[in-house]
Amino acid sequence: MTQHICTPGCTHGITEENKKDVVEEFDTARRSFIRNAFVGGGAASLGAMGVTMSPMSFAAGANTPINADAPGQMHYYIPATPETVLWGYFSKNAKPTVEIESGDFVTMETLTHHANDDAERMVKGDPGAESIFHWDAQRKGVDRRGAGPMDAKIGAGGGAGVHICTGPVRIKGAQPGDILEVRIVDVTPRPSGNPDYKGKTFGSNAAAWWGFHYGDMLTEPKKREVVTIYEVDATGERNWAKAVYNYRWTPQTDPFGVMHPTIDYPGVPVDHSTITKKENILRDIRIPIRPHFGTIGLAPAEADMVNSIPPNYTGGNIDNWRIGKGAKIYFPVAVDGGMFSVGDPHASQGDSELCGTAIECSLTGTFQFILHKKADLPGTSLAELNYPLLETQDDWVLHGFSYANYLAELGPNAQDDIYSKSSVDKALRDAYRKMRHFLMTTQHLDEDEAISLMTVAVDFGITQVVDGNWGVHAILKKSMFPARN
Amino acid sequence: MTDLKRFSASAIPADLRQPAWNEILSRLGLASDAASSIRNDDSGHMALSVSTRDSVFVQLTATPQILSPIVSKANQPLQGTVLVLALLDGTAQVLDAEQTVKLRSGDIMLLDPSQSWRLALQTRFRIMLIKLESSSFLLRLVRTGRQEANRISTQQGIGALCLNMLQSLNEQLPHVDNNELPALEVTLAELLVACLSHKQSAGNEEATDVQLAHLRRVCRTVDSRLDDPDLHIEQIAAQEGLSARYLQKLFKNSGTTFSEYLKSRRIQHCCIDLANPALAPFSIAQLCYRWGFNDAANFSRTFSQFMGMSPKSYRAAPPQDLHEQLRRGCPQTKPSARSPTTDPQTFLQDDDIQKRRRPFHEVLDDHAKYALSLRLAPKRVSDIDNTAAAQTDTHSPRQYYLPVSDKTVHWGYFSNAIKPVLTIRSGNIVTIETLSQHASDDCERMIDGDAGAQSVFHWTGTTKNVDRRGAGPMDATIFGRGAGEGFGVHICTGPVYVTDAEPGDVLEIRILDIQPRLSCSPEHQGKHFGSNAATWWGFQYDDLLTEPKKREVVTVYEVHQHTHPPHAKAIYNFRWTPQTDPYGIVHPTIDYPGIPVDHSSIDKQFGILDKAVVPVRPHFGVIAVAPRETGMVDSIPPSYFGGNMDNWRAGKGTKLFLPVATPGALFSVGDPHASQGDSELCGTAIECSLTGVFQLVLHKQRDLKDSFMDGLSHPFLETPDEWVLQGMSFSDYQAELGPNAQTQVYKNSSMEAAMRDAFRKARHYLMKEHELSEDEAISLISVAVDFGITQVVDGNLGVHAIIRKAIFPDYNAD
Repeated sequence: MTQHICTPGCTHGITEENKKDVVEEFDTARRSFIRNAFVGGGAASLGAMGVTMSPMSFAAGANTPINADAPGQMHYYIPATPETVLWGYFSKNAKPTVEIESGDFVTMETLTHHANDDAERMVKGDPGAESIFHWDAQRKGVDRRGAGPMDAKIGAGGGAGVHICTGPVRIKGAQPGDILEVRIVDVTPRPSGNPDYKGKTFGSNAAAWWGFHYGDMLTEPKKREVVTIYEVDATGERNWAKAVYNYRWTPQTDPFGVMHPTIDYPGVPVDHSTITKKENILRDIRIPIRPHFGTIGLAPAEADMVNSIPPNYTGGNIDNWRIGKGAKIYFPVAVDGGMFSVGDPHASQGDSELCGTAIECSLTGTFQFILHKKADLPGTSLAELNYPLLETQDDWVLHGFSYANYLAELGPNAQDDIYSKSSVDKALRDAYRKMRHFLMTTQHLDEDEAISLMTVAVDFGITQVVDGNWGVHAILKKSMFPARN
Repeated sequence: MTDLKRFSASAIPADLRQPAWNEILSRLGLASDAASSIRNDDSGHMALSVSTRDSVFVQLTATPQILSPIVSKANQPLQGTVLVLALLDGTAQVLDAEQTVKLRSGDIMLLDPSQSWRLALQTRFRIMLIKLESSSFLLRLVRTGRQEANRISTQQGIGALCLNMLQSLNEQLPHVDNNELPALEVTLAELLVACLSHKQSAGNEEATDVQLAHLRRVCRTVDSRLDDPDLHIEQIAAQEGLSARYLQKLFKNSGTTFSEYLKSRRIQHCCIDLANPALAPFSIAQLCYRWGFNDAANFSRTFSQFMGMSPKSYRAAPPQDLHEQLRRGCPQTKPSARSPTTDPQTFLQDDDIQKRRRPFHEVLDDHAKYALSLRLAPKRVSDIDNTAAAQTDTHSPRQYYLPVSDKTVHWGYFSNAIKPVLTIRSGNIVTIETLSQHASDDCERMIDGDAGAQSVFHWTGTTKNVDRRGAGPMDATIFGRGAGEGFGVHICTGPVYVTDAEPGDVLEIRILDIQPRLSCSPEHQGKHFGSNAATWWGFQYDDLLTEPKKREVVTVYEVHQHTHPPHAKAIYNFRWTPQTDPYGIVHPTIDYPGIPVDHSSIDKQFGILDKAVVPVRPHFGVIAVAPRETGMVDSIPPSYFGGNMDNWRAGKGTKLFLPVATPGALFSVGDPHASQGDSELCGTAIECSLTGVFQLVLHKQRDLKDSFMDGLSHPFLETPDEWVLQGMSFSDYQAELGPNAQTQVYKNSSMEAAMRDAFRKARHYLMKEHELSEDEAISLISVAVDFGITQVVDGNLGVHAIIRKAIFPDYNAD
């Protein structure tokens, strides 16, 4: 099959003329779907759930011939609903939301699990978000949150994993040993559904107990958690975010009556009558936005249900802000169909994600999936790849973790042990080894060449120190190998 | 700038007295016979100072012994030197094959160190011994007479003056800078010539020696006024109280004329400037104005006449023997095919004239050598572009030039006791040459022909110009690697004393420009090289895949400046093999800096990394002020005073703020890098000699209120777009780790601690300078501040936090 290959700025078949139609059609479909989902109580079939469209049909509708070389390429739309998300875990056994062919596009809505920090701004009036965050004394829109036991005291799933992950998407023909390339074609903010905040998007940053700063505070009370709400321009015209207000987390009682003295379970609705909002904070400060997906990856093979917090060899909660529009990320396929999920959308984050979270802000992404079969890998830059590899316009970014595959390395209690065993040193060690391997296999350098090049030209940065399996990334400039390009 | 070296016998264990004694005497080319008496003499004293011309001044107090010259091939450098002995107390005899000269208290005696004689100090004595460099003329006089003739009568007249001078010098030696010594040497040599001449005038025609003394003085005056385009012989004559006619005669005796000489001196200085890469930004016209040419066309013509090529082509490719010329000085004393019209040799008709002229030539030659030694000393640069400066800003900052040489570096350590090599004021601009300590990995490409580098790296069986390398013991009693033990490796140029700087102040270092230091070797003229060593202290060392594991590999890179963008390419690499240094110590690993690698012992692999093009990021790994702690501090772990931060962002256009810890701040810079990645993983960067232009701005403590600089206790880097907070495992490792800090820091560092420190510094900065609350700061850090790994190889590991200025659109530093 001839594939339509996207480049940054590519509209993958949507032209100025037909753009309006496409958007309209998506919107209609999305509205009708959500309505159906509500009406049908979430029992919608796969066919009804993913809105399936072919670019060819747009072309016909707009009377503009496009992409004649890509017959059969499909574009799916997956809205965020209780039926299309897994909250807090990856699972190889989850029912796929959609099954696609290599080369297809999927637009996926993702919701931040921190939206309930300010439901007024981030949930209200947004049917998708409302359906997922729905929680009254009787029922939760999504009950399981995390990979823990369903009867955990704190709440179903135990909060062992917190991210709302849209998917999984099953890629036909993907088998262990293959590589799945995911191109991030587009990333757009999700506008507030509340008419009071029309045209705006909001995000939340929680300085939480798992942050690097916790226990190392200067001012009283020393062990506090602070949530800062940020505003982002929904139209995308303004490339910076600003703070709106912050508040100190107070013990919150969830609708089932469980008290949460700290941020220990995702999606707890914050009762704004219990908190004190501090306005006029971070005045005159503009935070350049870097929209990206914190959690993105495939289902690991090692366990049925895997906590979404520690990143691993199949990706997951990598929390690298470089995973944004225009980037391509390559994952090793560990289970049949790959089972791709994405979530934890961020408007911006600094390297290290120091206080535990980024500007957690719902986004919608358009992805193209390209499957590279195992047999075709030797001799390419994907040969022997066994970790998430990011390619941006200028760089290769390799992800090192304290444990390259913690599930395999740490044994049966890996999902608990990982939180006490991480260190930056180990993550740097892993990043070093991966970079050496990459240079030796893909650029055919010997070990000494690889090491010299690394020390003089590769930048090692701290991806995150808050996700259990800590991350250090290594950035290799593509321009160093002009012959390649 | 010299540290006057002092030895009190009582302070040295008896067993070690003789080696210490002999080390000093060997600087004079002497040895003592009195092993046992030195050992038992605990009242002896010795002090030594070396001038920038390499003359050696020694004071000696001890019990009777016999000193005699070490005559060997290794003492070749002693050729052309004269030894001046002033017997201040005691009695002595000088004996040679022919006679015995008795000396009493107050006598002065001139000795030829290349001859064989014995100086028997018969009583307890106090003497001053001076080895005068480049005094070949004086030496000729010494050699013509018998020993008796070289004893100077000091009862009255010029001899008494001479004694007075030596006595005062003896008293004042501790207070005289070694860059002030050359002037004294010249005066002393003149006085001595005059003393001897009284005895010889009968035999010599026309009082030649007096004329020679005049010629010396005139040369110095001329050199000091080269920048005056209107300089005439009449002015010099008036200044020296001589007649113009007489001056003309002096130059005629030397086979040249005043104007030819003046031109040649100017051309010579222009040659040095043209060949100096640090001056590349200045036009040829600007450089020639600096040396008194007021017409570029005229300069170009004169230059071509002298050098046989245009200034432009000279600048593009300075001749291979440039530095030989420079060292030898006057081009006109050297036969040169390129300048037949000015070659004095062509005027020499017969032996007689030649004989008569030789002493005059020697004066000029010596003088050129003296001028060069001054050039290698730090100095104030006259405003390079007089006209432009006058037009734009009459208050343009003063400029200084600090060349790199064995006299202007400290190798491998910081200390607040190092004597400054240069003193400047806040706001002044100083151009500083720096050398990579890895240049000796490939001497041919990175040292050969480069006078400054050679003077620093010079190391033979008998001499090592910069002996101390590192903060360890001089006698290398710990590992036996060499003096200083390599506990610290970086060649640091400086220190520069900043007038008025006091602890509590902040020194702002603006890096205005960075220039490459090009190869001077004939083979690689004009190219730029660096070395990257994957070493035992690198992160990779215990984690290699291929055999032999635990290897060290040096990769030599060439840096291409003129491509867009500039880039580096690897040339070859080699595996480190055990290297034997010139003192005979074997270095199985890279355990001591500046070991000349014997290229016959290594196996070079070419064609490596042939597809990789490395973008360059020129910067200085080490930028420091002196630490407040006493004693020597290893240059490797960075700390509150800066030091070896190894952050590639410290390049052109950035400002580094350091807390002043000692009066005068004592700024030093070194460890130049062409490029480095964050983490400096294998232990080093592309280590590559560079010259930096720095403006030093002092911020007094009283003016710092409400600024982030108030109470600044760590390095703070500002780039055009970012503020960079440098976190370290220990932000002040000496204070935190106690007496064994310099050992402990290598063992107790961790990335977490460095990350923690970077976080705290970023938080402190945001709270203080941007007046954020702690919660605001923490949120901002998490969403907008990037943490990167600076280095994992310098003992005190580094993590930096980068705050983009764009976050604060309304921020105004003032």
